[in-house]
Amino acid sequence: MWRPCGTFDENYRKDVAIIRTPLRWGLLVAALVGLFLVPYVCSYYVVSFLNTLSITVIVVLGLQMVTGFCGQVSFGQAAFMAVGAYASAVFCANFGLSFWVAVPLSGFFTGIYGLVGGAPSMRIKGFYLAVATIAIHFVTMWLVLHLEITGKSQGIIVEPPRIGSFVFDTDERMFYIIVPLMLLMTYGARNLARTRVGRAFVAVRDNDLAAQVMGINLYYYKLLAFFISCFYAGVAGALWAHLTRVCHPEQFSLLHALWYIGMLIVGGIGSIPGVFFGVIVIRVLDELVLLVSPFLSSWFPWLGSAPAAGLGLSAFGVVLAVFLIKEPRGLAHRWEIIKASMRLYPFAH
Amino acid sequence: MGRRWIGWSVALITVGVLGLALLPLPAGAQGKEVAFLDLSDFTGPVAGLALPSSIGVEDYLKDVNSKGGVQGVKINYIGVDTRYDVARALSAFKSYARDQKVVAMEIVSTPLGKMLQPLTRGEKFVCMVPGDGEFQAHIGNFFPWGPTYQDAFAATVDWILEDWKKKGKTGEPSVAVLSWDSPYGREMLRGGKEYAEKKGVKVLPSELFPPGSLKHDIYLTRLEKAGVNYVYVGGVDPTQTNVMRDATRLGLTKDIQFISDYWGPSSLGISLHPEALEGMVIVSYFLRGNEAQNHPLLKRLWATYRKEPPEKMNEGYGMGVGTAMTLAAAIGDAIKRVGPDKISRDEVYQSYQKMTGLSRDGILGPCAYSPTSRRGSDVVKFYKVTGGKISPITDWVKTPDAVSLHKW
Repeated sequence: MWRPCGTFDENYRKDVAIIRTPLRWGLLVAALVGLFLVPYVCSYYVVSFLNTLSITVIVVLGLQMVTGFCGQVSFGQAAFMAVGAYASAVFCANFGLSFWVAVPLSGFFTGIYGLVGGAPSMRIKGFYLAVATIAIHFVTMWLVLHLEITGKSQGIIVEPPRIGSFVFDTDERMFYIIVPLMLLMTYGARNLARTRVGRAFVAVRDNDLAAQVMGINLYYYKLLAFFISCFYAGVAGALWAHLTRVCHPEQFSLLHALWYIGMLIVGGIGSIPGVFFGVIVIRVLDELVLLVSPFLSSWFPWLGSAPAAGLGLSAFGVVLAVFLIKEPRGLAHRWEIIKASMRLYPFAH
Repeated sequence: MGRRWIGWSVALITVGVLGLALLPLPAGAQGKEVAFLDLSDFTGPVAGLALPSSIGVEDYLKDVNSKGGVQGVKINYIGVDTRYDVARALSAFKSYARDQKVVAMEIVSTPLGKMLQPLTRGEKFVCMVPGDGEFQAHIGNFFPWGPTYQDAFAATVDWILEDWKKKGKTGEPSVAVLSWDSPYGREMLRGGKEYAEKKGVKVLPSELFPPGSLKHDIYLTRLEKAGVNYVYVGGVDPTQTNVMRDATRLGLTKDIQFISDYWGPSSLGISLHPEALEGMVIVSYFLRGNEAQNHPLLKRLWATYRKEPPEKMNEGYGMGVGTAMTLAAAIGDAIKRVGPDKISRDEVYQSYQKMTGLSRDGILGPCAYSPTSRRGSDVVKFYKVTGGKISPITDWVKTPDAVSLHKW
């Protein structure tokens, strides 16, 4: 962990602390105050973008747990998100539960469902497990499309959260639910990564045979990784459902699962800051295409609006290819190098 | 190399983006103008239809603007590739939702329409969408481009009964839907089934498959065993082409008549697979084949803005032009009522409801929007693929109201 030059840990508490210096505490408080003010000072578009970004961060944090830390490749994250979204919608609409109970319950329900997704990891790994999780995606989406309780092809209308008579029915209001929850779940993930469980995940990822020899129960930890990952996806799905106020089978496609994997690659596998880097780069790139394409089509009329607007997917492909070739360890690795250089500042070496 | 490379890349991208953003807007966007937001799938499973349609919208609006706009007001076209991805569509929608210059929008896929509907409920913001019957059943701000899916299916039921009689067959014909396993794939039967049963046509259980499927043998074989006479194929082409290719190979096209819904193959698709599509009937609410490619307005726009021969025109282009003609007419009506400075979403919404009977130069049937109707039109035409060409076999036929037969 990076500390300014000349700062030393003097006791165990300091050594394990996530926030280590008064300056960092100050920056954290300032950042939190800044975040609180965002809906007051930023446009509706920025707020809604931050909501989507935060939900994506939660999903990708879950994926980081199972794929980045534990080494179990999963293409089922979009489907698990759908499970969480539908679970929350059903808990609220059919069982009359409040949003505040439905969201954690949906996460837990998705976690249990994810154990099914994780079950094949007992026998298979790598590419084969990836294919198995794709199968889980399709089975899940088939169930969503055909079960009576999910509203079949018509989906479910979801009510916005409320406290008493105060309804969280705008993006600005939802911001105060989504962003704190994202921060809380980031803290949870960061914390988990440095516990025995987190270290066991890394051991399983790096060499499962060696991990087993050291006494790590492979199957238990692999399933645990899937449970945690799905819990995150479930919570994200529930938030998404209450934000958009509709659950629809076509909201959660396999393409989303691919995007999430892409975000991990760009950000850096096995790193919590990497999740933020990956999500921000891909989502911002996407928004830039949205903003820039009208200019492109007006300056180059022969291109037309449609091909210009369709640049998004190509941009994603190019970014992914460049990162795989030039920086396979992702932006998080680059961030670590920058921090290491700064640690010795003002000394050159 | 690594660190320097990253640094330079980031700097270049930043400078490029900032440069683009700081440059002035093009001339067309200055002066009095309103905007039309097109949330379309330029890539993804329905791109084959959405792309030509959106190009049609854009070209027509370009043409209107080149002549000074609608009574001096230019209509700025904003195209966004939503990629059949609802998260993307949501983000794009929100980025423009509060821009009051955007007076109307279109959403070129069923899932996006269904997702955005709750978010715009209660607003008087015109959203043009595909033909889901629920937008007619629950009158609001969503306006299907043409007849609803179930109304087009009901018109097909009428055509089936006539065809059955013409062939001298007795008893009741049977029809089955073979379509995508998605909300869209089921939509035509919500009311369409009730209509068919009322008219004495037996509706067999549907065969639904995931969008993107390449082989359909199992579904086709099951339908054959069930004794189906007519198969109504849903999906956006090349789905219909793939289905017909399999049906031809299985030898089913001799005894079973295949009918495509209005997102079926274009002339370009037919020219690539003439043998497979031979004999297929297509129900359409916009002109197809030579009728579209030789239509004077479409031909002129295509030559002016695409600079290609008319044979290269996908008929979805005409559908887009028709949509844009409705938009321009509604904006014109709103300007007449309140003047160019007071034009707003509300006013355009009011005008859309007065477009009843608007002619789109015969590219689409007369407009049927009214305070009680959200149908873009209530007529369809039947075409047949013969010798690699698509030719009309009926004139415009009025579609029955199947939406009201369903319990919503």
